[in-house]
Amino acid sequence: MTSPSNTPEAGEPGPNGSSVAGRYYGRSIPYLPIDDYPGKLIAVEGTDGVGRSTQIQLLREWLEVRGYGVIETGWTRSPLMQPTIELAKSSNTLNKLTFVLLYATDFADRLEKEIIPALKAGFIVLSDRYIFTALARAGVRGVDRQWLRNLYGFAIAPHMVFYLNIDVKTLIGRVLESRGMDFWESGMDLKHGDDIYDSFRTYQNKVLKEYASMGDEFHFRVVDARRSVDRIQDELRRQVAAFLEPVEKAPEPLLSVVKG
Amino acid sequence: MTFSLLHATDFADRLLYKIIPPLKAGMIVLADRYAYTAFARDATRGVDRQWVRELYSFAVRPDLALYFRVPIDVSVDRLMARRVKLKFYEAGMDLGWSTNPVESFRMFQGKVLDEYDHLVDEFGMDVVDARGSITEQQRTVRTLIAPFVQSRRADVAVGEITNDESV
Repeated sequence: MTSPSNTPEAGEPGPNGSSVAGRYYGRSIPYLPIDDYPGKLIAVEGTDGVGRSTQIQLLREWLEVRGYGVIETGWTRSPLMQPTIELAKSSNTLNKLTFVLLYATDFADRLEKEIIPALKAGFIVLSDRYIFTALARAGVRGVDRQWLRNLYGFAIAPHMVFYLNIDVKTLIGRVLESRGMDFWESGMDLKHGDDIYDSFRTYQNKVLKEYASMGDEFHFRVVDARRSVDRIQDELRRQVAAFLEPVEKAPEPLLSVVKG
Repeated sequence: MTFSLLHATDFADRLLYKIIPPLKAGMIVLADRYAYTAFARDATRGVDRQWVRELYSFAVRPDLALYFRVPIDVSVDRLMARRVKLKFYEAGMDLGWSTNPVESFRMFQGKVLDEYDHLVDEFGMDVVDARGSITEQQRTVRTLIAPFVQSRRADVAVGEITNDESV
């Protein structure tokens, strides 16, 4: 596990290197050609229990107050696939391939029915997790990395990817304080042992390594998630504001208190 | 895309539970449809051809792939003779090419057959003329399969030939 690195300077519109933000990463969906859609796709990534949902909720309120249309989309939340995925997880027959493919189906459904239409209509799409979650989880389970990247070639490169970075020790405390450790988030399917605590630590360590290894490739904006909710939110807002309204001068300190 | 990915998920499940274990045990697996179906069908639905091939790169390449070729008219006649209603997706109704199921089937499956013709060359499939009688077709099939089965008998004990259920 690498230590949480410094956050990048705010104010960069962040063209995503070789992949163009707002376009397909790889082989496109031929029947859904993408033009210069006005919407923006912002992904918030990070491992289980790191605090993504809280940050997204705050970000959403703030954006809406500023007059932006916002929709949220989240991993395994497609109406088509959510029941199937829950059902499949509850049985013990999932293998690493079917696991990956069910996630990909869910993602494809949300991409076609939520994300692309929203971008077309000029919304800001806040994505709670993105394909990097799939790449990290499958990577830990030994699925071929090139195959995964080809598979997710139909994904759209986000305009911004925030990676909420945390160390396992802090993560464990946070997860235990909230809802406890769950079977999949502890990687119990990998059979590191019967002890859920040990398994969680081993598994999350591997997941964090996978995320870290993707940082450069996918232009993660690394955010130190060990800090307070407000501090993290301030940083997200500063970067989002700089991206959405680059002509404005740097906004004043955005907030200190937002909890409500 | 979701149609394609759901089928791939189903395929992956059957590959790992129903196809690979019997192959490891030295059995013969008969697959009623294989990845080629997806290549033809998904391409017709407008999914990127190369993407589908990469998606299925985890599939085991069959020792022998038979393609039962039939003209679209024969196919339609056979189906209509024994079934009143064509299935929604089988007729490609989701594509909205025609509101008439039979017409839609003809258009959709016609394009699927075109795709198969490309697959025959690309993957070296053996073509069986499916216009003939069942007996004729079965003779052709047995002739094609014989070399594989015989070569196996040389090194495998007799009586191990087992059919897997449809795939």
